[in-house]
Amino acid sequence: MSKKDISRRSFLGTAAVAGVVGAIGTSSLLSSCNGKKSREELDLPPLLDRAPKGKPLKAGLIGCGHRGTGALMNFLSAGSGLTVGALGDVFEDKIHHVNDRLKKYKLEVPEERCFVGFDAFQKVMESDVDVVLLATPPHFRPEHFKAAIKAKKHVFMEKPVAVDPVGVRTVIATARRAEKMGLNVVTGTQRRHQRDYVATYEQVANGAIGKPLSARANWNQEHVWFRRRQPEWTDMEYMMRNWNNFTWLSGDHILDTHIHNIDIVNWFMGDHPVSALGYGGRHRRVTGNQWDFFSIDFDYGNGRFSHSMCRQIDNCTNGVGELVIGTEGYTNCKNTIYNLDGTIKWQYDYPKDKEGKSTGRVKIPPYIQEHIHLVTAIRTNKYVNEAERTAVSNLTAIMARESAYTGKRITWDEIMNSDMRLGPKEYHMGDVDMEFETPVPGTAIKS
Amino acid sequence: MVEHSTYSIIKMERKRFNFVRRISKLVQRRKHLFILLGGVTLGLVIVQSMEVAMKHTSTDEYCLSCHVHDHAGDSWKLSSHVDNKGGVQAHCVDCHLPPKGHGHLAAKIKHGAKDVYGYFFKDSTDFNWEAKRAPEIANGFTYESACLKCHTNLFPTTLSQKGDDSHLYYLANQEKMTCLNCHQKMGHYDPTYKHEHNKDFGNNSDENKTVYTAAAEVTEFKNYTEFIPGSSVSFNMKAIPAGEFEIGSTKDDSFSEKDEYPKKKVKLSRFFMAEVEVSWDEFLAWFNQTSSEGRKEGDAKTEEVDAFSGATPPWGAPDQGWGKGTRPAITMSHHAAVMYCKWLSAVTGKNYRLPTEAEWEYAARAGSKTAYFFEGDPKDYSNQTTWNKIFGADTTFIARYVIYDVNSNSKTQDPSAVKANPFGLKNMLGNVAEFCSDWYASNAYAKYPKGEVLNPKGPKKGREHVVRGGSFKDDAGLVRVANRDYTKTKAWLKTDPQVPKSIWWYSDAVHVGFRVVCEPDERVK
Repeated sequence: MSKKDISRRSFLGTAAVAGVVGAIGTSSLLSSCNGKKSREELDLPPLLDRAPKGKPLKAGLIGCGHRGTGALMNFLSAGSGLTVGALGDVFEDKIHHVNDRLKKYKLEVPEERCFVGFDAFQKVMESDVDVVLLATPPHFRPEHFKAAIKAKKHVFMEKPVAVDPVGVRTVIATARRAEKMGLNVVTGTQRRHQRDYVATYEQVANGAIGKPLSARANWNQEHVWFRRRQPEWTDMEYMMRNWNNFTWLSGDHILDTHIHNIDIVNWFMGDHPVSALGYGGRHRRVTGNQWDFFSIDFDYGNGRFSHSMCRQIDNCTNGVGELVIGTEGYTNCKNTIYNLDGTIKWQYDYPKDKEGKSTGRVKIPPYIQEHIHLVTAIRTNKYVNEAERTAVSNLTAIMARESAYTGKRITWDEIMNSDMRLGPKEYHMGDVDMEFETPVPGTAIKS
Repeated sequence: MVEHSTYSIIKMERKRFNFVRRISKLVQRRKHLFILLGGVTLGLVIVQSMEVAMKHTSTDEYCLSCHVHDHAGDSWKLSSHVDNKGGVQAHCVDCHLPPKGHGHLAAKIKHGAKDVYGYFFKDSTDFNWEAKRAPEIANGFTYESACLKCHTNLFPTTLSQKGDDSHLYYLANQEKMTCLNCHQKMGHYDPTYKHEHNKDFGNNSDENKTVYTAAAEVTEFKNYTEFIPGSSVSFNMKAIPAGEFEIGSTKDDSFSEKDEYPKKKVKLSRFFMAEVEVSWDEFLAWFNQTSSEGRKEGDAKTEEVDAFSGATPPWGAPDQGWGKGTRPAITMSHHAAVMYCKWLSAVTGKNYRLPTEAEWEYAARAGSKTAYFFEGDPKDYSNQTTWNKIFGADTTFIARYVIYDVNSNSKTQDPSAVKANPFGLKNMLGNVAEFCSDWYASNAYAKYPKGEVLNPKGPKKGREHVVRGGSFKDDAGLVRVANRDYTKTKAWLKTDPQVPKSIWWYSDAVHVGFRVVCEPDERVK
């Protein structure tokens, strides 16, 4: 694959490069004396405790579920002069839920700026908000993102950013569009804004473990929420209210949650895999068509690989995290770097409590840190656009999922050029004339 | 009249003399300074006139002033680079020279020198302007950096999903393609050019013609004419007798290449072979009877189940606007050619297929053992030898039998333009390159079984298929009987904007087609 390949393109746009050159003038010239790469060179986010004061910003929330509500609260607490201007969701009860929360802060959104239905996102785009927060089930993200950029809004969008290759390409093209239009985009891969992760990455990028060779990533947990079908619900309402269990809506949990670990491994390896071969299955789920577990072997080329696991089954050995091994050491990516003999080489210095003990927590929660970044970027003209790199990690997860579903090795080129699009073509609250079968890899034994 | 006294004249003369002397003294003393000043002035004049010259020679008027390509000016004025809502005009040099800082001056000198040479030493009526529009040629005088200088945003909000996908594809393959691969008719308007699914493609059936209801009955091993039932199309088949020949070349054969070695003795059973390459009439009979809009129907998996699933509509004009009818059909994929044969077999009740590589070469040689089935050596005909480059190549025999780069006018030609080989086959060499059924391997002959080689079918597995015979684009050295080539699936689909790419049509291979053979069955005596 060539250097010009979109996925391996430097995420610094030309405009950003100009900014970097300016910045290099001061800080990084000093750092380059000791051979250390500057934060700008490494494309690390600014880690401010609070967004600087500036022009007031109004947010519109699209997708008023738990994460949407959370994202809105995170946005509002990123700095001063931040308000909410519009709400949109497919279901009215979700809007009431958010407004109940907002009431406590006297930020309730009046009815005429609350929109319900599949076209609610369009109405939020047409309102006078400056920023939109996209937090619907992932299936809708690419079209929402596209509409947001068309409406000239800055964007915070949750991961995953798409559930299929068609969606991923829409996101990448829209990301390029946003860059040209100077619209900032931050995505909800919050580990990239988590101070301990960022500091560890800075160490690794400056050679702390030598050259990264292989990795392991896992997101193994108990079962996640589900809704049983209510008699009055149509097919669409049922699936939407139980979206976390349908692949066309969530992308399956290898996208929905494990994408965080996959994104970290791509980040630390400095690359995306060239192919994936995986498997998995479904033993315990009670609704929907998703799987319970995946195990994936990612091939990063030249012998480099990453083993990825994710599982949602109760009473098994659980754990969430990453491990990257290099020629001179290894790291948990989060806060510690080890020498090859297991001794600790470096550890992140967490803030201390009153008794001088480490709190084990970063000062600013990453969920707020990412909104501080977005607001800072808008107010200080320090451009940020994370959509494409998140789309690349997203496609990595899709490649893995499809390999497991089909039992076949899937290459990056295949998945990047695939015309796979999941879900119905049109959305309406009624019955859906589609089968949502649980995938079974391979073929039956002929006997 | 005022008279000067002698004194005053002398005084004036002295003054003048003194002045001149002072000046010359000054010059003497400040010699270097004056040389420098003179140089600077001269330099300024030169730079200034260069600037003027550069400006003058960069105007549209200047470009069009030679009157050798007035049509270029006309079509440019009709193109979207002039005729657009924004009122923006892209001038000749905006596209045909790289922007300043990207080798502008060097390119200007290069093209300028070429133009001057062409103007004085070539006959402009000989120029094939249409052929110059093919991307691989146009890229030589149209600059991608120039496109990108103005078109800085490849993802405007007005772009369609297909456009987004295509531009993403372009960015991922920038070293393999340029803007021209997809936008080749942007700078100069072409009313016939389309970059979309051509759904009307092939719908030109003449209802007045006789429609055949039955295929030909073949009971004897001799030449016959096949009729395609349900169409008004017929074509000639030649009986090729069984025999033995030597496939390939030796190192001593001029222009031979490694993949033609070692020469092997091969025995072949008798077969019928089409007199000419499959024509558009023949190919469209299949296309019209089987084509489908749904792209999934041609999926490789369904091949066993349904031999009739047909091609999807092609993009643009697969015939390149050169005409259809009896001209060879081009740009279909190897897969499409195979499916055509299956369909033809079904509708005629015979066993049509692509020739094996050995059958193809045996038929092309028609008993000859030399580089061509007619007199002459590639060294005489090729334009690649230094001698021929200067003094021109011989074309005596070759031009009677072969459509190649010298006589093709850069397009396919009707089979009536050439004479047949001793087996009665036309265009085995040249016109369009032809698919064979074998997988390609550079060492295919070496891998033939030991002992007697009967009806070899080539390697069991492979990635690309054998292509034989060279085409209208090729030099005489590449239309040799033994020359081997192969499909280049990736490159030949380079600009297909669809995802995934078509399995029926090559977007970037206008020089390939095929010819059918028929295996005689038990009915044939």
